[in-house]
Amino acid sequence: MMEPDSAAILTEDLTKRFGNFTAVDSVNFEVRRGEVFGMLGPNGAGKTTLVRMLTTLLPPTSGRATVAGEDIGRHARKVRERIGVIPQALTSDLDLTGWENVDIYGCFYGVPRSERHKRAHRLLEMVRLSDRANDLVATYSGGMRRRLEIARGLIHSPRVLFLDEPTIGLDPQSRRAVWDLLLELHNESEITVSLTTHYMDEAEQLCDRIAIVDHGKIIALDTPAGLKKLVNGSDRVEVQVDGNSEQVAASLRTQTYVSEVTIDGDKLIIATDDGAHVIPRLIESVESAGSRVTSLNVHQLSLEDVFIRFTGRTLRDEAAKKVSFLVGAGMPQQR
Amino acid sequence: MKTLAIMRRDLLKLMRNPLTLLSTVLMPIIYLVVIGNSFQGQLRHLPVAVVAQDHGIYARRVVEQLLALQAGPKTVTLSFVSDPGTAIAGVRNGEYKGAVIIPPNFSHSVAEGRIAEIGLFTDNVDTVSSSTLESVLSDAAASIKVDFVTAREPKLNEIVMRPSWLFTYVDYDRSLIPGVIVMAIFMGSLMAGVFNWVMDKFMGVTECYLVTPLSRWNIAAGILGSGVTITSAVAVFVLFLGLLITRGTIEGGFPALMTLIGIIVITSTGLLAMTFAILGRAGHPRLVGTFAGFLNVILFFPSGAIYPVESFPPWLRSFAAYNPETHAVNAIKQILFKGADFAAVMHDLAFLLVFMGITLTLASMSFKRTL
Ligand SMILES: Nc1ncnc2c1ncn2[C@@H]1O[C@H](COP(=O)(O)OP(=O)(O)O)[C@@H](O)[C@H]1O
Ligand SMILES: [Mg+2]
Repeated sequence: MMEPDSAAILTEDLTKRFGNFTAVDSVNFEVRRGEVFGMLGPNGAGKTTLVRMLTTLLPPTSGRATVAGEDIGRHARKVRERIGVIPQALTSDLDLTGWENVDIYGCFYGVPRSERHKRAHRLLEMVRLSDRANDLVATYSGGMRRRLEIARGLIHSPRVLFLDEPTIGLDPQSRRAVWDLLLELHNESEITVSLTTHYMDEAEQLCDRIAIVDHGKIIALDTPAGLKKLVNGSDRVEVQVDGNSEQVAASLRTQTYVSEVTIDGDKLIIATDDGAHVIPRLIESVESAGSRVTSLNVHQLSLEDVFIRFTGRTLRDEAAKKVSFLVGAGMPQQR
Repeated sequence: MKTLAIMRRDLLKLMRNPLTLLSTVLMPIIYLVVIGNSFQGQLRHLPVAVVAQDHGIYARRVVEQLLALQAGPKTVTLSFVSDPGTAIAGVRNGEYKGAVIIPPNFSHSVAEGRIAEIGLFTDNVDTVSSSTLESVLSDAAASIKVDFVTAREPKLNEIVMRPSWLFTYVDYDRSLIPGVIVMAIFMGSLMAGVFNWVMDKFMGVTECYLVTPLSRWNIAAGILGSGVTITSAVAVFVLFLGLLITRGTIEGGFPALMTLIGIIVITSTGLLAMTFAILGRAGHPRLVGTFAGFLNVILFFPSGAIYPVESFPPWLRSFAAYNPETHAVNAIKQILFKGADFAAVMHDLAFLLVFMGITLTLASMSFKRTL
């Protein structure tokens, strides 16, 4: 293990309970400086709650964490000075211009005027909003707002940047633009980025290491390649057969080139190491089991396969929250 | 600098929402115009049926008096009807607010010194118009009798009430201005203060403030600063607009204006802090809207803005004594209409200052720097 102060983020049994519901459950991990670290998990996994604790918005129920070398509980203010945060909701002010949003935000960090202006220019350039800087944010698209918020979050040159679902709700073009931005940032600066997402491709594209989070726990943590090694077989062959799929699956499982067979509805998903070359043998095996292949499809193991493997297929509905009888959604039980 | 940045954000946002600002100005002004014209100080144009069954000299005098009421203060609008049945039916069905019936032998009775009676039937369900009619009509009748009496046996030690005004004449519309200013302060402090805060919270915008090194104090002072600035500006604007509409002036000139601004700022701060203390933790702007309408009514009407506090029933009077708007209305009234010096408003100012202190304390206690 590295010295604590060389880690950008370090948590020790970090836990958050809401009533008797545990949203984040004794989480331990370390994010190295300069790394892009991803937290990947389905809705309700506890990602936002985890980020809120790390960004000093919510006090942990138990456990500790240091961010940018400072304890989030005891030195919250120092932590705040050193981090940049882009919350999940779009939080730029619609009634202000892009420039005003960035400039005023810089004041909150006490960045001196000339430096603030210099940086604001550069950042707006970087997020390609220079020519719209003096327009009200109300005229921006969702993608533009998100880019602006990234610029805003960087105005004080933070050491650690937190992004909570930065591309949620954006169109594919805007998502790519945000990705490019983050990659550029990663390549050109020392900044540490902590990113949560429920998009596999996003995590795979951007992150050096990924923690898969579910039910408030980290269930796997590695590089994208490392995560894929955790599951058997580098390729997936999906076949549809017109016979008894149970029977076919059972016979395939006995084959040496097959490392795993799962049945998904009327499909068989076969994990293997050399997809393209096993196809003829696979078809043979299916036929010798008294069935016939009706469709077949080979693809490389994706993070999604890994993700589903770890988190299962069940749909995640939000845990029921209490809503006041008298005022409806008017008085929330803490968000 | 950090506090100023918060103020700058709030002020820019408010200035870019002229409609919101306008509504905080317009609503109180509309109150002024509507209240000023709907319940006037004196009632006017009450429809009254007159049945003259006697045409003698005294009956004619009564009719003259009634015509004078119609022409002068315009209290009544007369309709001459020939038969008492029609007149009374008219009162029943709401066509008239009252019927005056002069009986056939009226002049005769007066001349003979007997008790002469005029019949007055009023729509006593409408208590306000009925009591007004009773009093103006009996005054009119009395004046005839006095006339008659003076002709025969003069009353030397009769006491005559002649109203005399201690202050410049203030008509009813103008007397509403202090209340309207206070209502503008209330609306403004709500719009520029707690409403914005709850809206930001609802939209998740506060989150991006709370992750910055802004202190609790920075945030509170910034919101308060911008809220008080905007609210006071709106209130002063309403003051001048009100004076313009009612063609009034400030009695004490420039020093009085300064004192007025002082009262406005103190009241704004107090009301802003009060609404924060009560509604700062609300999670939905709708809740602020609902509660604010309610607060507006319970603070405004018992404040003496439209009806004198002294005439309230005791329970309401004791509430009014602790109502900040009562003191604000009174202080503004004193300065605006009487040019009263500082001493006259000392008590109200002291109350407002204490109120401000208490609400600021409560607001800062309820203000959290967490989600
Ligand atoms: N203030 C709160 N009170 C009660 N439950 C909460 C609160 N905030 C979040 N939760 C619950 O905690 C779980 C994790 O939420 P969250 O961290 O927002 O998940 P994610 O960001 O991964 O989608 C959810 O089930 C959510 O309903
Ligand atoms: Mg989330």
